[in-house]
Amino acid sequence: MNIFEKKDFPVNSSSLKDIREFSRSVINNSSILASNKDELVLAIGEAAQNIVKHAYGDKRDTTDTMLIQISFIDKKLEIGFFDKGKPIVKENIKHRSLDDIKPGGLGTYFIKQIMDEVVFKDAKGWNNNLVLTKKY
Amino acid sequence: MSDLNFKIIENDNISTIFLNGEIDMSVTEETKNFIMPIIEQKKEVHLNLKDVEYMDSSGISVLIESHQKALELGTRVVLKEISKSVLKVIMMAKLEQILILE
Repeated sequence: MNIFEKKDFPVNSSSLKDIREFSRSVINNSSILASNKDELVLAIGEAAQNIVKHAYGDKRDTTDTMLIQISFIDKKLEIGFFDKGKPIVKENIKHRSLDDIKPGGLGTYFIKQIMDEVVFKDAKGWNNNLVLTKKY
Repeated sequence: MSDLNFKIIENDNISTIFLNGEIDMSVTEETKNFIMPIIEQKKEVHLNLKDVEYMDSSGISVLIESHQKALELGTRVVLKEISKSVLKVIMMAKLEQILILE
């Protein structure tokens, strides 16, 4: 079964719950994905949180939206995040060492643990396009 | 409206905080503001996580910060009845040997 769904969300931390609900409902359409639901929802939530926190610096007054696109075609899951926040400097994206116990810096680590590939692509009309993929 | 509820039961020198809901960056400040003053009173804090359905890296940060603050003040934060989904995240962060889990 192939899946393709997308939805816009306001860029703010209050959207994170709606993003998780959207993700759960899409994931539930496939028993393959559903077996991995908690982890996938975490990866999506962390990526969306990074947009709010880093691309927009947790600005409360933006009216921008982010687009989240989930596809599962030929057993390949692809989750795209599109935003018009501050362009990401790829070299600056790193997670902290797990041995360095301190708050923060784990979101990107979780995403990389859960997904096979995490890449930024160019997308016309957007400043950032993060694509997470996982093969089943 | 917050998606996280707090309930506290005080017993001698132990405060048990029951958290209910989902912990993401939208509620981390509120969560810290609830927990930290209790730790600052040098009370032992038991965080009951059985009804926490979701926790992301922001929630993990609150756990680390609370744990470290408690150690600094000579007390401790004990995580109790951790839900399956939260335990998975704690283990993914390899914190099961660092935080106090009971």
